[in-house]
Amino acid sequence: MKLLALMKKEFARFFGDPKLLVTMIIPGLLIYVIYSIMGSAMFGGEEVKYDFRVYLSGESQVVEIIDDALADSGWTAEFLTLPAEGAQTVEEALDRVNSGEADALLVFSDGFDDAIAGTGTATVPTAELMYDSQSEASAAFASLAGNILDSYGRTFELTMNDFAESADIMRTTMAGILPFLIVIFVFSACMSVTLESVAGEKERGTLATILVTSARRTDIALGKVLPLACVSLIGAASSFLGVVLSLPTLMGISVDVAVAGISAVGYIMLLLNIISIVPLIVAAIATVSTLSRTVKEASGYTSVIMIIMMVLSIVASFVSGIGDWVVALPILNAVVAMQGVLSGATVLWQCLAAFAINLFYTALLILLIARLLSSERVMFGK
Amino acid sequence: METQLPAEDEEVVRAENLRKTFTLSRKQQRLERTSFARKVAVDGLSFAAQRGEIYGLLGPNGAGKTTTLRILSTLIRPDTGDAYVCGHSVTREPQKVRDAIGFMTSELKLESFFTPSYLFDFFGAMHGVEKETLAQRKQDLFARFGIDRFAEVKVRDLSTGMLQKVSLVVSIVHDPAVVIFDEPTNGLDVLTAKVVTDFLLELKRMGKSILLSTHIFSLVEKLCDRVGIIIDGKMAADGKLKDVCGEMSIEERFFEIYRTVRGEEA
Repeated sequence: MKLLALMKKEFARFFGDPKLLVTMIIPGLLIYVIYSIMGSAMFGGEEVKYDFRVYLSGESQVVEIIDDALADSGWTAEFLTLPAEGAQTVEEALDRVNSGEADALLVFSDGFDDAIAGTGTATVPTAELMYDSQSEASAAFASLAGNILDSYGRTFELTMNDFAESADIMRTTMAGILPFLIVIFVFSACMSVTLESVAGEKERGTLATILVTSARRTDIALGKVLPLACVSLIGAASSFLGVVLSLPTLMGISVDVAVAGISAVGYIMLLLNIISIVPLIVAAIATVSTLSRTVKEASGYTSVIMIIMMVLSIVASFVSGIGDWVVALPILNAVVAMQGVLSGATVLWQCLAAFAINLFYTALLILLIARLLSSERVMFGK
Repeated sequence: METQLPAEDEEVVRAENLRKTFTLSRKQQRLERTSFARKVAVDGLSFAAQRGEIYGLLGPNGAGKTTTLRILSTLIRPDTGDAYVCGHSVTREPQKVRDAIGFMTSELKLESFFTPSYLFDFFGAMHGVEKETLAQRKQDLFARFGIDRFAEVKVRDLSTGMLQKVSLVVSIVHDPAVVIFDEPTNGLDVLTAKVVTDFLLELKRMGKSILLSTHIFSLVEKLCDRVGIIIDGKMAADGKLKDVCGEMSIEERFFEIYRTVRGEEA
């Protein structure tokens, strides 16, 4: 009976507070909505029309299967059997793939089809697919052709050679992952110091003591956000350095190689973007903290913000070709700008615009906090 | 920032027809056994407090005393009506009102992490008190209330009595003309309660005007020059203590008024 009473009390505490309940349900809803939007953006948007140029050395029926599969995807391909126009030998064909003039080279061993049918020589037939993953078209062809060859169901040796430089791959990977990780670490750093900033003071009764002084509400809001942003920046910088220095090692490439493709301006832009998202995140969490009656409530709402931040930052990693309008969106603008820097293609105006716009949003949130501090319902509502 | 004291016999606090209502949740409606979604906390309250006097708002729990003091301290706004502190409107000039008042209530707490000395300086800065003036006031007030020996001890390590003294001193860091005190001795032991009442009498001797709320009759008799009796958010009686009470004690007079207003025994 005692256990039942204790459990009942806990359930009553939870289900009796609609706000707590909402904070549990909202993340799931958000994940559904945002992931659906992401899915539409990734797969439901305008289809890319590829017209591949592929060199062939040797012959196989599998080429026809690949061609049919390409047609099913709405793509076309020109298969050029060596010697062909522009490439007489395998070496020349490789040069074309490397230079981006062709998308792939497929090399089949002599008598490939006979060998896998068991009617040819005793040696193991081989197929080699050479491509450049830095090229979207080449990567798309390799993905489709590789899958078909893999599932061909006959015994042969398949080799796939990616010509992309390991440093390029590293940079592409870093560009995709790092902004996401930076946002997560920055958010964690901000959350740990900001969460209880206002809600905690409300709970302890120390905020009202400040509110009865003649300090302006905007000063109180600024006095909260700025120092917390500075403290968070230290935590964020530490996390950022940790990620930047460990990721190359994690991926098997030296730090020197990984950072070589980023210019000094790029590093400054990277820093500027981190500096701009820290106060923005601090201000967003402080706003939530101001709206909350308790730290527990603030914690629930902050987890919702965290999901939004994570999704926004990961969207940029999956959706390519986001338009310039992205600079108007807080956080996402910095993620896209950081991706540009990390992939070695710093877009200066985008970085500076993201910096300015994020600080603008921060200023708006500070004004909002100041208004909330003046709100009787928010500050003293039960 | 030192506030200019009003001339003698001048009204330092004037409330004019204050009305304040609160929205009741369904749960609160059930508890209060009412179907009305709004509760009237203060209903057309008017009164005035004079310079250098202690004015006591006397009433039972839920009468509207705390709401009235919160309006006067600009923490909340009245629905209608207005109040003036040293001539400044609480609705139109809240900043100036905050400069003129020191507000004390058990709901206002000090950060336990800091020391009395730090908090005195911090709240002095919040009120815009100049450094030299602040240092002098800290020295005077800390010595007068025996805080000097504990100036660098963290608030969380202070005794209840000493903490109360620190809270009182911090509330008048800017030398306000008016001190507003909500239930000054509520929940305090006899020793700490004496610290507070002595402090209020000391403030009065310093020429401050004090407005306090209480439901303790003896406190009114001991401290107040004027009293306002609030019942159900309305002012039932208001004036000099001897005029309100006549030959009766404040307790007898209160219950007589209560019976008249409510038509029932308390």
